[in-house]
Amino acid sequence: MNIFVCVKHVPDTAARIDVKARCRIDENITFIMNPYDENALEEAVRLKKVTPEATVIAVTVGGAAAQETLRAALAMGADEAVLLETRSPLDSIQTAGALAEAIRRRGPADIVFTGKAAIDSEGFQTMFRLAAHLGLPAASNVVSFGLNQERAVVTCEMEAGDREVLEMPLPCVIGAAKSLNQPSYPTLPAILKARKKEIHTTVLEALDLPAAAGHVACLDMTPVVDARTPVELKGTFEEIAMEIIHLLRREAKVLP
Amino acid sequence: MNKQYDAIIIGAGVIGCPIAYELTKMGRKTLNVDKLADAGEGSTAASCAIVRAHYSTEDGVAIAYEGFKYWLEWEKYLGYVKDEKGLAKYMNTGSILLKSQGHDWRKVQKHYDAVGVRYEEWDLNKIKEMVPVYDLHEFWPVKRPEDPEFFNEPTRFLEGALFCPEGGYMSDPALSAHNIMRAAEAKGAEFIFNAEVVEIRSRDNQVVGITLKDGTQIDAPIVVNVAGPHSYKINQMAAGVFEECNIKTKALRHEVMYCPSPEGYDYLKDGYHTSDGDIGCYYRPEVGNMFLIGSEDPECDPQEWVDPDLFYAAQLPYGRGNELTMEQWRAQTYRCARRVTGMQIPNQPRGVCDLYDCSDDWIPIYDKSAMKGFYMAIGSSGNQYKNAPVAGLMMAELIDACEKGLDHDKTPFPFKLPHLGRTIDTGFFSRNREINYDSSFSVNG
Amino acid sequence: MKRIGIFIECKNGRLKDAVGGVVTAARCDGGELYALLLEDGGDDGRAALESWGVHTIVDIRGENGPLPYHPSRWAGALARTIRHFDLEALVGLSSLLGKNLLARVAAELDAPLVLDCTAIDAARHTAVKTLYSGKTRATLQTKGAVHLYGIRPNAVAPRSSPSRANRTAYSVALPDDPIRLREIQRSADSGVDLTEADTIIAGGRGMAGPEAFKLLEDCARPLGAAVGASRVAVDSGWVPHRMQVGQTGKTVTPKVYLAAGISGSVQHFAGMKTAGLVIAVNKDPKAAIIQKCDYFVVADLFDIIPALTEQLNKISSKAQAMR
Repeated sequence: MNIFVCVKHVPDTAARIDVKARCRIDENITFIMNPYDENALEEAVRLKKVTPEATVIAVTVGGAAAQETLRAALAMGADEAVLLETRSPLDSIQTAGALAEAIRRRGPADIVFTGKAAIDSEGFQTMFRLAAHLGLPAASNVVSFGLNQERAVVTCEMEAGDREVLEMPLPCVIGAAKSLNQPSYPTLPAILKARKKEIHTTVLEALDLPAAAGHVACLDMTPVVDARTPVELKGTFEEIAMEIIHLLRREAKVLP
Repeated sequence: MNKQYDAIIIGAGVIGCPIAYELTKMGRKTLNVDKLADAGEGSTAASCAIVRAHYSTEDGVAIAYEGFKYWLEWEKYLGYVKDEKGLAKYMNTGSILLKSQGHDWRKVQKHYDAVGVRYEEWDLNKIKEMVPVYDLHEFWPVKRPEDPEFFNEPTRFLEGALFCPEGGYMSDPALSAHNIMRAAEAKGAEFIFNAEVVEIRSRDNQVVGITLKDGTQIDAPIVVNVAGPHSYKINQMAAGVFEECNIKTKALRHEVMYCPSPEGYDYLKDGYHTSDGDIGCYYRPEVGNMFLIGSEDPECDPQEWVDPDLFYAAQLPYGRGNELTMEQWRAQTYRCARRVTGMQIPNQPRGVCDLYDCSDDWIPIYDKSAMKGFYMAIGSSGNQYKNAPVAGLMMAELIDACEKGLDHDKTPFPFKLPHLGRTIDTGFFSRNREINYDSSFSVNG
Repeated sequence: MKRIGIFIECKNGRLKDAVGGVVTAARCDGGELYALLLEDGGDDGRAALESWGVHTIVDIRGENGPLPYHPSRWAGALARTIRHFDLEALVGLSSLLGKNLLARVAAELDAPLVLDCTAIDAARHTAVKTLYSGKTRATLQTKGAVHLYGIRPNAVAPRSSPSRANRTAYSVALPDDPIRLREIQRSADSGVDLTEADTIIAGGRGMAGPEAFKLLEDCARPLGAAVGASRVAVDSGWVPHRMQVGQTGKTVTPKVYLAAGISGSVQHFAGMKTAGLVIAVNKDPKAAIIQKCDYFVVADLFDIIPALTEQLNKISSKAQAMR
């Protein structure tokens, strides 16, 4: 069984984001494996453990530095690692096309796990595009996964705690949510073993993939400045409560 | 009319607060000024708050051992004051000093014997029994994971350990500073916050007071520099003071990591603070059943000396700024994972990055200065948290003696440790000393 | 004329609250708005759509009547509707449902999609959204035959633009779908993860014990918020460690952080300093958090939090009553 996991090399949530040239950030910061991809990888490794003759293949599209994330994937239990190397920033459509090609070449895929979204681009869509390329059904925001006779049964989180239970045949694409599992991190021996493994690298541009019709381009990017000047809320308890609600509505926009 | 005090203490961290406490108890009216919002919010908050007795000098061991008494009887030390934030807790895990080539442990043992520190000698079997998760191979010399030799199979074993049943850490260093502040206030001390010192005023080489950023002037014939990583900047504000010191202080960046305890090992309940010179780390339990992993600054690790203002304003680049680096995350967690079998290392770095106020020989400066009335308790070099209550008393008595006419430079003030009864020659901490090559030149002190 | 489709989300037979903002965001010069409904929004719903400037209301149904909810079948229906009416854009709500459907439609059409937009210009095909967990704001441009956008709920205030709308039905014939929807599990508990929550209410020393956290839960419920705690509350044994925000706890990035009885130590702040709006409620006017927040109330949380809960419940029950 070929279990693919699509992972992304992203800036740490704690990292300082400095906007450099138009729409690029200073990449001299800490990068990590996208946290949702950790959940995806964990689920893939768990599936492999209960499946005879299963292989977990981690795939990523990115710069040479993305090898670090592939090494982390290998340390967490992936058997193989594939890098489609490119220096260009890609949008979701291009990324999905590249991932699909990588999977086809190494394939066939019996199941594909990936995080529901990347914490940098927050697009929430690449996995669906990947699924469309491969002609596979997909489900995202998955909080529980089970396999029942070649059919995946997944629970997906919806609004306000409601959940939908979906069933789909293999092969399919699963978008992992945080509560899908608790990732098991590698011990030093596993990290050491992973260092010795080969990462299969192909230059993306050399694949000469057809250009997509649609595209998302970044025109401009600015930092969000968080300077705070404290303002006191005064009045009766009711007035203060109403004022807070007003702030939630008008400033934070978390209330309609 | 400017407000007038007997003494102004610059800094309300874990050293500045006990100095105020002791000076107040001696009858002086004190004011602490701190540029942050509350006591202990600066480098104190990032301290690992280790309480241990092993130091490279006998006096160092004595002072640390004296300090134990205060942490152990914390409420009593505080004069049973109430603190609305609660009291910091002393966690007595016991302290393991692994016998390694990274520590001159024989010297430490000699000092223990001289001072009377209680300890046991553990052989490998004993360590294995008490801490089954430790792999007791020798991994010396300390290396970085980038070094291919890092993962070499070890062939030798450590010799054993010195175990002190007394030792551990304080649960919340910032809170401990806050506790001491409340104790000092109960005796009449005052504290102001969000108050940044921009000027040290003097006349005829006698300090007369300070000026704050908002223009407020406060007068006092005694001013004490306890400004932590900013100490050299404060010394530079007092005419002639910085230049006259033979030992200088600078701010050194350091990273401390939090890594989950191995599956099945309750480090919080069953573990010990451990000084592991063999891998260049020390570690102790942290909330959430984690290993707090500090570095002993091995030679192979880069040292970044930084401007504290730029550092805290997040204006320094990766590797010099106040964010953890992946490189150091791996260095410290991988080293610890060599020792602690089964330690699982998350991909995402977690911990604290802050500054030490480091002296040229990593021994603090507790001294007067070239300016009359201006004193300094600086250069804590990451190894003085545990000595805070003792340092407070020592500085208060030193200041008192100097104000009463003692020529401290000529005849250093003899400081008597109240519990141990031993006298410390405070010249040891002189700003004018030659670099002390007996020092470990590390956080070990 | 640009034909712009808007996917209208409904709940319990009525339009969802945030729909007005979505329609408003989709309006542009030369834009003809098509409201696409897969469920009945009622007469009130249709009237509301007209008040926001919709020109055509399309009731999408299956061959045998309304299409029961099914993630990929609904997406398929929307994709076919876009093709049938030759729409150049589809705008929806960036809710969990909306994100799911819009992404599926975008994948099927191989069309560009920007989710969680705080603003769009349907004429220029540009959208504004934050990236890197809210640390940057980017203006993106979509290129292609069809453009899809998901509007962050409540990011755009609804503004009226009265029009009259034609109503038309559209029947889709959908192929067999490999995904089977087995069931929908309803839950009273919102169960939002602290690290993913948009709104967090956290309690500290001022809570004075575990019981008071129930007050925070009562307040969190109408907000769909997660409840957190400072280290003190965890150290004191009032709440479990998984609720701790701070250096030795979790790092959170909510749009709103309401700190109740938290002094705001540097350790705590390290865990929530990138929060959008920080509101502090504390009896102590000298609490450190008051220097570090956006808004503060010097009062007892036991007075303020219940008052806030009461007002939130009033709003929510008023909204219910209007249904």
